[in-house]
Amino acid sequence: MCREGFCPDSLTAMADQMWRALAAFRVVALGYAGVLIVRDHSLYAHPGAGLLVLGAMTCWTLTTVAAYARPAGRSRWLLGTDVAVAAAMVMSTRWIDSAARISAGSATLPAFWAAAPVLACAVAGGPWAGIAAGLAIAGADMVEHPQLQPQNTFNGVVLLLVAGGLVGYVVRLGTRAEEAARSATRREAAAAERERLARSIHDSVLQVLALVTSRGRALGGEAAELGDLAAQQEAALRALVSGTGSEDGHDTGLLDVRAVTEPLADGRTTVSCPATAVLLPEPATRALGAAAAAAVDNARRHAGADARCWVLLEDDAAAVLLTVRDDGCGIAAGRLAEAAAAGRLGVAQAIVGRLENIGGTASVISAPGAGTEVELRVPRG
Amino acid sequence: MCPAADEQVRVLIVDDHPIWRNGVARDLTELGFSVVGTAGSGMQALRIAKAVQPDVVLLDLNLPDLPGSEVTRQLLTAHPAARVLVLSASAERQDVLDAVTAGASGYVLKSAELRELAEAVLATSAGRAVFTPGLAGLVLGEYRRLSAQRDRAGGPAAPALTSRETEVLRLVAKGLTYPQIAVRLGLSPRTVQNHVQNTLTKLQLSNKAQLVRYAIEEGVE
Repeated sequence: MCREGFCPDSLTAMADQMWRALAAFRVVALGYAGVLIVRDHSLYAHPGAGLLVLGAMTCWTLTTVAAYARPAGRSRWLLGTDVAVAAAMVMSTRWIDSAARISAGSATLPAFWAAAPVLACAVAGGPWAGIAAGLAIAGADMVEHPQLQPQNTFNGVVLLLVAGGLVGYVVRLGTRAEEAARSATRREAAAAERERLARSIHDSVLQVLALVTSRGRALGGEAAELGDLAAQQEAALRALVSGTGSEDGHDTGLLDVRAVTEPLADGRTTVSCPATAVLLPEPATRALGAAAAAAVDNARRHAGADARCWVLLEDDAAAVLLTVRDDGCGIAAGRLAEAAAAGRLGVAQAIVGRLENIGGTASVISAPGAGTEVELRVPRG
Repeated sequence: MCPAADEQVRVLIVDDHPIWRNGVARDLTELGFSVVGTAGSGMQALRIAKAVQPDVVLLDLNLPDLPGSEVTRQLLTAHPAARVLVLSASAERQDVLDAVTAGASGYVLKSAELRELAEAVLATSAGRAVFTPGLAGLVLGEYRRLSAQRDRAGGPAAPALTSRETEVLRLVAKGLTYPQIAVRLGLSPRTVQNHVQNTLTKLQLSNKAQLVRYAIEEGVE
């Protein structure tokens, strides 16, 4: 158990609310019992003892309301005493009230004030503690009324057990939900911190890779190969780092197109995007990404060893536009049509088909020696 | 306005990584530039710039004390004749865009070859904008964002691109060089350069006007 002020976080807001409600319940129940005792005490076998019990109930109410207000006061010991006091007062009815009134089914002296410790145990210890305390008070009721009378005693017992079990269950459920929410917040904070650290580490690694790239290429020969390798890793890391920030649309079924275009970058391929997210429905984004990847792959394979490639992502009110351009040897006019006629149009068909599936269009502009430009367009619904 | 042919371009290098700072300083010196100072933080850069009056400030965006855009703004306020060229390994697009709207004349990736870097420093010292395809993509996106924002919320007129400027920027973003663009559009390379320059100037002026408006509103209240 923790002390107040030491770890206030472990005290759930919900349990605190329940303790306050319980204090109010106890005071109201004391008022009700007081009215009954003051009204009926002249009919008791021992009227003075009845008023004495009322005095004791008042003192005990003040004690417990004060003690339960602080988390440190909610001890097992006090809760046990609370149940014992209430049970004793229920049983004292048998001696104080007249036998005729008891067998006629009159209320016990504390009336429903006796339910307060049951609820206290339920809030503090969960459903089983609530039910155990309920059984103790019900036992006292049985002693007071040896023969079960369905219209009140039996109903009272059932209600006590149900209240104890249910309140305990609800409080435990609420506490767990609050705990889950708190641990989620903690995890989120930890993730943000990790991301901050990662950013600074990534920046240093990017610096070194960039250095190796530019130095290696300047030196030529084997060093240039190292430079190219570094350039590939630099592009991969850059894509990875900028990809982390683009999860904006996850809950809405939208996905940032940048998340699927950035990984296309490498030493020979440059990817240009806006600084803000370009959101499309997730299937459209995936299809667009796959089509762009096919276009880039095609450029790498067919444009020539020295060809470079540029990917441009644009977003305007009407459409999302993705252009893949290479400066390679291009495709002779009519060759695409020829290939289509011969039934071999693998790449182009795959790209066009993917775009048509999501309501978009694809066009290819190419001339021998002037490179190839593939334009993918997805209108905004 | 232009420095005389025999006058060396005075460069200040700002980077918090010593290997980069020293490496770039050595390379540029070998190529005939005059490296008048190096700085490892934004505040240090502002102090040194005051003493050495550089023509070009080569600025990394990941500095330990100030954001790159803030360093750019303060440098250009104190030294309107200086130019800022962003040289960054930064993967953060927004940082690059912020620095450019704050007044930087261009952006070069750190993995660029030395020849490209030297050309970029020369172009910057002559007052020309240095655009990578990546920066062109960012600037296009920023204009679209501004016009969408204005369509949604109304408010003051946002800067907009002419259709020719859009055409030129898109070709830059697709990797064409200025001469290639000039041939394709039937323009002179000088005109292409002017169009590119204008796209940046409009964005920077609008950013400055917004800051002034903001300052006045804050001051009046």
